[in-house]
Amino acid sequence: MSTPTHDHPQPTDPENPETASAPESGGPSSGGSAAGGPSSGASGGPASIGPADMDEPPKGGSFLGYLLRKLGGAAVSMILVVVLGFFAFRMLPGDPVLKIAKERPMSPAQIAELRSQYGLDKPVIVQFWDYLVGILTGDLGESYVYRKSVAALIGEYIGPTLLLTATAAVIAIALGLWLGQLSAWRRNSLFDKLASSTSLVFWSVPTFWLGLILLMIFGGTLQWLPTGGMVTPGLEPWSFAAVIDVIRHLILPVVSLVAVVYAQFLMVMRASLLEEMNEDYLTTARAKGLTEDEVRRRHAVPNALLPTVTVVFLHIGGLIAGAVTVEAVFSWPGLGKLTFEAIRGPDLPLLQGTFVVFSAIIIVMNLAADLVYRWLDPRIRRA
Amino acid sequence: MFAHHRLRRGWVKCLAGVAALALAGSLAAAPAHAETTEAADDSSVLRIATDGFIDSFNPFTSFYLLPTNTFRYMYENLVANDAKDGSITEGLATEWNTDSDGKVWTYKIRPDMKWSDGEPLTANDVAWTYTQMMEKEEMAVANGSLVENFDKVEATDDSTVVITLKEPQANNPGQEIPVVPEHVWSKVDKPGEFKNDKDTVGSGPFQLESYEANKSVTLKANPNFWRGKPKLDEIQYRYYTNSDAQVQAIRSGEVDFITGLTPEQFTAIKGADGVELNDGHGRRFNGISINSGMADAKGKEFGTGAEALGDKKVRQAIRAGIDVETLRKQVMQDYAQPATSFIPAVYSTWALPTDDPVVSGFDVDQAKKLLDEAGWKEGSDGIREKDGKKLELRFLTDADAPIEQNTAKFLEPWMKDIGIKLENESSDVDTVSERTTKGDYDMYFSGWSVNPDPDYQMSINTCGQRPDADGNGGTTQDGYCNKDYDKLYQQQHVELDGAKRAELVKQALAINYEDTPSVMLWYPNQLEAYRSDKFTNFTKQPSDGGAIANQVGYWGYASVESASAEDASGEGGGLGAGGWIGIGVAAIVVIVGGAFFLTRRKKSDDRE
Repeated sequence: MSTPTHDHPQPTDPENPETASAPESGGPSSGGSAAGGPSSGASGGPASIGPADMDEPPKGGSFLGYLLRKLGGAAVSMILVVVLGFFAFRMLPGDPVLKIAKERPMSPAQIAELRSQYGLDKPVIVQFWDYLVGILTGDLGESYVYRKSVAALIGEYIGPTLLLTATAAVIAIALGLWLGQLSAWRRNSLFDKLASSTSLVFWSVPTFWLGLILLMIFGGTLQWLPTGGMVTPGLEPWSFAAVIDVIRHLILPVVSLVAVVYAQFLMVMRASLLEEMNEDYLTTARAKGLTEDEVRRRHAVPNALLPTVTVVFLHIGGLIAGAVTVEAVFSWPGLGKLTFEAIRGPDLPLLQGTFVVFSAIIIVMNLAADLVYRWLDPRIRRA
Repeated sequence: MFAHHRLRRGWVKCLAGVAALALAGSLAAAPAHAETTEAADDSSVLRIATDGFIDSFNPFTSFYLLPTNTFRYMYENLVANDAKDGSITEGLATEWNTDSDGKVWTYKIRPDMKWSDGEPLTANDVAWTYTQMMEKEEMAVANGSLVENFDKVEATDDSTVVITLKEPQANNPGQEIPVVPEHVWSKVDKPGEFKNDKDTVGSGPFQLESYEANKSVTLKANPNFWRGKPKLDEIQYRYYTNSDAQVQAIRSGEVDFITGLTPEQFTAIKGADGVELNDGHGRRFNGISINSGMADAKGKEFGTGAEALGDKKVRQAIRAGIDVETLRKQVMQDYAQPATSFIPAVYSTWALPTDDPVVSGFDVDQAKKLLDEAGWKEGSDGIREKDGKKLELRFLTDADAPIEQNTAKFLEPWMKDIGIKLENESSDVDTVSERTTKGDYDMYFSGWSVNPDPDYQMSINTCGQRPDADGNGGTTQDGYCNKDYDKLYQQQHVELDGAKRAELVKQALAINYEDTPSVMLWYPNQLEAYRSDKFTNFTKQPSDGGAIANQVGYWGYASVESASAEDASGEGGGLGAGGWIGIGVAAIVVIVGGAFFLTRRKKSDDRE
C-alpha cells in the first residue's frame, strides 16, 4: 500500500513523483489498524495506542519536544526529497536535447546551442549546486518547454488542482465518513455489505479507466457534459456563464476522483466506529433511554471520529498527487497535467519542481496529521 | 403484520418522493440547457483538438510541432510547397532563378503586398529576417540549419532579393523559413526571448490572436493575405491531453477536427453522426533499422551490434524473410502505404518506384539461400550457426507502442523460419532512444517525417553526418555509410536540372535499398476526422489522397468554409448541464431517501 490513488499514468515509469514521495499510509485494506493512531506516517508517529495502554499517557512529555521532533522528521524528509528530486531524474535514460531534436532537421550547432541554453553542458555537480542554491532562494529553474520560471508555472497551475482536489476531498470525505458510520452501526446488514463492497469495487478500479468510461458515456455518447478542459475558451472569466461552465467541466473529474478514493474514508470510519461499539458508555447511554440513532450520533460517532481525522489528513496529500491521472484524462489544466507533460518532455526543471512541490504537500499534511492528532486527543493533551 | 404494512407504506412514499423530485429536476433542466449551450462559438470558428507542446510562437526559436505548424499559417515563405505534390510554388516571390552553378539565387517579390497590420511588405523584410538568423546565434535555434549555407542575403531593391550561397545547392533555399515584419521585430528588445503570443503581425492566412497555455490557441483570419481573406473567421486549438478524449470530443461536437488517430480509434468512430473521416497518405515512413556497425564520422566504431549484421547478405535475408504485406494489413489494418525507401510515396518525383529492379519482395527461399551463402548453417535446433556462434538478434521496441509490439510478435516466428532467433526487447521510449544513440541494439523500430525536398533526409544517410556515441556531431537515420551513395548525394545536391536530379536521387535510394541498412515497412496514413455537418472544403496535401493536418504549407484549413448557413446540428440530443444536475439531484435523493428510510426502520423497530 503506497498511495491512496493506486495507479499512475504510466505504471511502469520509475520517475512518477508520487510513487517515490508518498509516505506509507493506511488505506482501506489496513483501515482497521490505522484507526489505532497515525502510526503509519513517514516521519514515524507515536507508538500505536492499543486498548491495553490507553490510560497511560505517552512518554516523552512536553508539547514543544513533540513538535520539535515532528518538525525535525519533516525537515529530514524534505532534504531527502530535494536531493532525490535532482538525481532521480538525471538517472533517467535518454538525453532531453536529443529527444527534442529527434526527427527534426537540426544541425550539430543547433543541438549544442540548446544544450548550453538548458545548462546541460555543465558538469553534473555544478548543475546540482545551481539547483540547491536555486531551491534555497525559491528559484526552481526555468522550464525547457514553457521557457518560464518553474515557480511561476506551478503558481499558475496549482489553482485548478486545488479546485479539483478540494471539491473531490470534501465530497469523498463527507460521503465516506457518512456511509462508514452507517455501515458500522448496521454491521453485516445488507446496507453494510452493499456500501462496503461498492466502495471497494470502485477503489480497485484504475482511475484512468473509470475516467475514460465516464468520458465515453457522459461526454461522447450522451453528450451531457464536456469532454475535457476546465472552461470553454472565450467565456468572460467570473461571469455567470463561465462559473456554470467550470462546474460542468468539474463534474466528471470530481466523480472519478471521489469514486476511487471515498472507500478509504468509509473503511476507516467503519473500523473506528466498530471499535467504539463495544464500549460500556454506549450501554449507559442506551440505559438512559436514548434511541439507537441518538446513541450513535451523540456518543459513538464523535469518539470514533478522532482517529479518523488524522487518517483523513494523511490522505488529503495523497489526493493531490492522485490528481495527476484524473487531470491527464480530463485535460484539466492543473499541476498533474503539468507533471504529465514534463515527463513526456522530459522537462527536467519542471519535473524536479513538481516533484518537490508534491512531496512538500504530502510532508506538510503528514506533519499536520501528527499535530492535529495530538491536539484532538484529550488523553494525550492531558499528559 | 402491522409493522410490515407500515414498512411497505414507507417504501412507497419514499419512491414516490424520489420520482417526483427526479421529474422536477429534469423539467428544470430544459431551460438551463438552452442557456449554457456554447454561446462563444459561431459557425465560422474551426475548433481543432491538440496536445502539442508550445514554448512560444517565436519562429526563430520554437521547434515544437504545433508552433511550427502554426508558423506555416502565420508567415508566408519566399517560396511555398504546393498542395498538389509539395513541389515549389510561388510564395512571397512570384518568380526566381539561379545562376548556372546554383550559387546565386534571385527572387522577384510580388508588388503591393501588405502585412496583417497594413504596413507594406517588401524585399527588405526578407533580407532582414534571413540576416538575423545568419548573424545571431539565438535567432538560429529553430531553423539555423536552413541558412548555414548562406553567405549573404541582399535586397537590391524593394522587390528583389538575392541570396548568395557558400556552396551551390539545387534545393531552393527560400523554403520553410518564416519571413517576419522588420518594422515589428526590429523594435523588440531581445528578439530571441520574444514570446510573440498575442496579436501577431504576419503575411499568412491566419494570425495569432491569443494563447492560453494548456487551454487554447486562437488564430484570426488575415484580411491582407495575398491569396485573399480565408472564409473562416477563426481557428481555435483546444487542449486535450488524451487522444481518447479527443475522439469523444469530436463525437460530441466540442471540436471540429482531430488528427493522429490510431487505426482502432479510426475504426471505432466510423459512422458517427456528422463526422467524416480522412485516411490521408502521410509524409512519414516506418522501418526496421538494422545496426550494421555503428561508427562516428571519422569511422571510430562503437556500440554492441551483432557482428553478423555487418554482412549485407544477412541484412538482405532479414528483409526477404519479412512478409511486409501481411504485416501492413494486420498490424496497420491497411492504413498505410507500401514502402520502398525513406522518401515517402507522396513525393512521387523523388520516391523509389515499386517496380524498380532493385526492389525485392518476401521470399523465404531467397532468405535461406542468402544466409547459406553468408556461411550461416542450420544447427540442430533450427537456429543457424557460424564458427560455433548462434544467429541470435535483439529487436528493440517501445513497450507503449502497440504497433511495435505487434510487429515484434509477427517477426519472431518469421525469423525463426529462416533460422534466426529474434528476441523482442521492449522498453520505455527514453531507454530506446538512449540505446539507439549508443548503438546498443541489433534492430529497432524507427520512423521519420520527411519534408518535400529529399535533400535533408538523404544527407542524414551520408558518412559525414554520423554522430558519436554521445549523440554529438550530427544526426543519422541508420548509421549508414557508403561512398557511392555519398557521391550521388553530392551530385544531386548541386544538380539544377529537376529531371536529372530526380534520376540521381533514385539511384542513391537504390544503392541504399540494396545495402539494406534498414527494412522499410510502410508509409503510415495520417488518420483524421472532421465535423462534416459544420465544415467542408478541407484541402489535402497531396491533393489526391493526402492529409489535412501537419502539411508543409497553409492549405489544409485556409480553404475551409461552413457546411451550411443553418448550423443547428452541433449540439444535438442530450440533456445538457441542467439535465445532469437533475439526475444528480435525483441520485442524491435516492441515496438520502434510502438511508433515511433505513434509519426510520431501525427507529420504529426500537419503539415497537
